[in-house]
Amino acid sequence: MVVRIRLARFGKKHAPFYNIVVAHARTARNSRPLEVLGTYNPLPQPPRPGDTHGRPWKDIKLDLSRTRYWVGVGAQPSDTAWRLLAMVGILEPKFRVGEVLGQVVRADSAAKSLIPPATAAGGESGGAGETKGAVEA
Amino acid sequence: MPPRLRPSTLSSAISTCPPVRPQCISQSPRISREFSQTSCQRITKRRRLFYEWLNTTGASLKEPIPGSTNYLGAYDRYGNLIRAAPGWQRNKAENTKKDSEKGAEQATQPGGQEVEDDLEMSARRDEQKKGNAKQENQLPPETAEDLRPFPMNHHFRSQPVLSEDLREAIYQRVKRDGATVALASVEFGVSNERVGAVVRLKQLEKEWIAQGKRLAIPYSKAVLDMVPTTPYVDPTKAKNKYIRPITHEAINDLIVHPATRQQLFVPVAESRHFTRVDAGKAFDNNLLPADDRIPHPELVLAERESAMGLSFEERKALALERMEQEEEKRRRKQDKEQAYLRSLKTVPKRRWDFVFKDVSVDSVGIDGRDHRGVGWRYGMPHEDRKRGQVKIPTKVDA
Repeated sequence: MVVRIRLARFGKKHAPFYNIVVAHARTARNSRPLEVLGTYNPLPQPPRPGDTHGRPWKDIKLDLSRTRYWVGVGAQPSDTAWRLLAMVGILEPKFRVGEVLGQVVRADSAAKSLIPPATAAGGESGGAGETKGAVEA
Repeated sequence: MPPRLRPSTLSSAISTCPPVRPQCISQSPRISREFSQTSCQRITKRRRLFYEWLNTTGASLKEPIPGSTNYLGAYDRYGNLIRAAPGWQRNKAENTKKDSEKGAEQATQPGGQEVEDDLEMSARRDEQKKGNAKQENQLPPETAEDLRPFPMNHHFRSQPVLSEDLREAIYQRVKRDGATVALASVEFGVSNERVGAVVRLKQLEKEWIAQGKRLAIPYSKAVLDMVPTTPYVDPTKAKNKYIRPITHEAINDLIVHPATRQQLFVPVAESRHFTRVDAGKAFDNNLLPADDRIPHPELVLAERESAMGLSFEERKALALERMEQEEEKRRRKQDKEQAYLRSLKTVPKRRWDFVFKDVSVDSVGIDGRDHRGVGWRYGMPHEDRKRGQVKIPTKVDA
């Protein structure tokens, strides 16, 4: 049976709170898991006191070494779990829509500002060409 | 009905003020209306007295005298300031206010040494008294009678609040100079709790200013002008060399612990040495003796050392040692906090930061039921609907 790293919803109505768990894929969401790796509180916390320009933050507790072990033995993270694990560098990011879009915008503006229109048809920079290809693909 | 004339008892100062409300009130000639249940709008005695008050005392209260409190108890029923001299005039006082302030500053320079230890109230109004000798039209300082906001309640006296300068000085002493709260409390004569509150609120104010928020400064100024305040005596200035800082309140009062509210009769053998520690234990086994519960035990210690006959140098060395220990303790706490924050891994994203804390799955213990274990626990019912569960926050991080 497939072992998955996924979130189990606890907390109250309008106050979600998740356990990050390792469980068999076909067990119920809140059933007793193989192991509880950590927690994820999706409600943004106010900036810490004394932090003038502090940003709100989300609290995640995670046993990093144990997570690495489970990923190493083939546990499959769910999409949400994948996103969290990618943030700490355990996995490669799966969805990087924002990043790619940013690259495209940046390359586009760079191409417009740097290359004069007359020579643009002859020689184009490598970076801009790549991103164009990415957009088409 | 024609506009009512004002009573002749009014002082000329008030008569210059515009009336609070036009006096023309249309009065219906009929006493009652057979078709309507609404009581008719005739002028009663109460209403007349109300407008009379608005034009006398009310008019005086509406425009506060600069540099003075603005309380009901300071005026008589005709709107005259009770403490003012017979020849005192309101408008003249306002005009000469700036001149008298200058005169007061000059007068305090030579005469500062006369301020007595126990006469804090007189120190509070020192400048005003000095100016009084020169200016005939100057108002005398407020007496306790004038500080009554509620005329029917003779026992309520308005207490002074911290002035803006004093609050800023306390904040700078704690934040910039790094003084402990207890030290600042002793220096400024302000209780520990109030020093803490001032530092927190000032910090918040500075944060708001840094964020570009608008503060209600005119409102705060207007309110502080109308209540008694404790001024700040800046010791760095030459003219304040011989003036003691004005004590705002008693700082070393023993807080009444709930365990000591009961009356106890403890039979004690005459031969037994019954100390305050024993007295504390008699009330509650966990209750500290009064010597340890007072806000500033270090003041008692310093006094005890001087009574023991230690020289000034020895006492200074001991005090410095104690302060060093305090500082060390505080530094250790700060280092611990910093280390904790460094151990967190923060991933900034578009709208908020994701803060990862490394934990251990082994904290649940062998049987997986330890309460220190990570995560929401399985098979454990919530107890938040049980009797006696406190859901009101008992502490605020600041």
